[in-house]
Amino acid sequence: MPVIEVADLVKEFRRPKQQHGSFAAVRTLLTREYTVKRAVDGVSFRIEPGEMVGYLGPNGAGKSTTIKMLTGILVPTSGTVQVAGTTPWRDRARNARQIGVVFGQRSQLWWDLPLRESLWLIGRLYDVPADRFAQKQKQFAELLDLGPFLDTPVRQLSLGQRMRGDLAAAMLYDPSILYLDEPTVGLDVVAKERIRTFVGRLNRESGTTVVLTTHDLDDVEELCDRIVLIDHGKVAYDGDVDELKARYAPHRELVVQTDHLEGVEGAEVVRREEGKVWLRFDPSVTPPAELVAAVLARHRVTDLSIVEPELESVIHRIYADRR
Amino acid sequence: MKAHLACARMEFRVALTYRSSYLSTFVMMLLQIYLLTVVWSAFYDGREEMDGIPLATMTAYATLSTLQYTLVNPWRSSPIEQRVREGKVAVDLLRPIGFPGQMLSGQVGWVSASVPVLLVALPFALLIGAGSAPASVAAGFAYPLALLGALLVSQLLGLLLGMVAFWTLEVSGALMAYRFVAQFFSGALVPLWFMPGPVRAAAQWLPFQATAYTPAAIYLGQAEGTGILAALGVQCAWVVVLGALAALVWSRARQRVLSQGG
Repeated sequence: MPVIEVADLVKEFRRPKQQHGSFAAVRTLLTREYTVKRAVDGVSFRIEPGEMVGYLGPNGAGKSTTIKMLTGILVPTSGTVQVAGTTPWRDRARNARQIGVVFGQRSQLWWDLPLRESLWLIGRLYDVPADRFAQKQKQFAELLDLGPFLDTPVRQLSLGQRMRGDLAAAMLYDPSILYLDEPTVGLDVVAKERIRTFVGRLNRESGTTVVLTTHDLDDVEELCDRIVLIDHGKVAYDGDVDELKARYAPHRELVVQTDHLEGVEGAEVVRREEGKVWLRFDPSVTPPAELVAAVLARHRVTDLSIVEPELESVIHRIYADRR
Repeated sequence: MKAHLACARMEFRVALTYRSSYLSTFVMMLLQIYLLTVVWSAFYDGREEMDGIPLATMTAYATLSTLQYTLVNPWRSSPIEQRVREGKVAVDLLRPIGFPGQMLSGQVGWVSASVPVLLVALPFALLIGAGSAPASVAAGFAYPLALLGALLVSQLLGLLLGMVAFWTLEVSGALMAYRFVAQFFSGALVPLWFMPGPVRAAAQWLPFQATAYTPAAIYLGQAEGTGILAALGVQCAWVVVLGALAALVWSRARQRVLSQGG
């Protein structure tokens, strides 16, 4: 049974048509003409409990609009969404209790008050029993290292600290689904890693279903097994990360450090530099083990490694193909 | 209910973090009481009473209505405008309790932050102005009810005004105009009994008098017996009307949020 089921989801935005010429601003204000923009155009997917799905797409592809419909903030123009048996925008209160949401760009914490106060309020809002709350707060304080800034007003926190606070706030009432909308935007490497570790752990230990939108593909490679790629409001790819790589970037590279190498059967020399040679091969045609054996049999090799294609270049190619 | 009380407590704490505005409220309030007392004394010009209103009642009215006004109409009339501008409405909509309820309870918490100021200010106010005991036992009992009514009417008006932000994003200009009109017609500066006929009639038909004049008039015995009941009844009627209006406006505003995104 899928926990999130999205079918033929469409969202159109209507904006007054921009007028040009004299008194353009006034005429725009008074106009009855509208331009319609389809931000989400017939998106369908299903997510099983415990999955971690990367929801990817370039800016303006409709990612955030979809997340807003999944969380119940927006009503779709047409189509259906079921999240654990509820329609988010109709049954907002019930849906709210089963989801945690982190927006990288806006915080749910109280700016003027210490982080501890925001967590307390969330405990109250979601009816978390006192003992459970104490236990959760202690657990998150350890996992996310909140201790040093629990009593600092949120406006004085660094971005990384604030995001950790927001994550704790979103998971305090044990929701079974977590939406992360660009959770690592603007963070340094250490802060990013900390957030990824925490989310990975939630998924492994509590079976939390995670839907993640991001522009940082390292987030996806580290956390997600599956990605849904959207572009111009439509699903461009839905499936395994590995399969996507196999389909769009079937080649791998063997990097050999050697003094002399002319060529090897089943691979193509693509680059030479400072005693290193890059050999490109298709693992389905030339098994890596055979290639390595062939190279080692004929050459004196000081080092060698196999390079996996990066997701980023794969996604670049998909976007490029569609334009 | 627990969730709403928690919202109120949060905003109470937030209000306390704004120390300078907190102190300036205190100073402004004392200054206003002092000036009104001076003006009314000069206006009476040695006479004992005017239109049947003794000077002591008048200065007591000035003190009381200023104290009440500070409590019931805080400088932040609604948190909505700010939350719309900062895009925090999206977060509010993710909560398991309704948006107007969150805003109203938060605002009640915000208002209650000025109770300590009032308690500190009261002796000073009595010193520079003039205080008096409630006019009767009935007035003493009816006053807290009228004050609660004043708070509800004032906060529902603030909620309605705040929700305008969903259409215009910016309400500070309208807010200035509103403040002026609301304060004048509430009777906080000039009591309704001294207003000339047509102005007084307008004040009586507007909701603002319920936010300041009604409780003060009850306390000072200007409304007595069935008059107290009638005044409380009018407040109740305004709470019902404004509550219904707020619900209606919210249902429209929500559609707007839902189609535009927080």
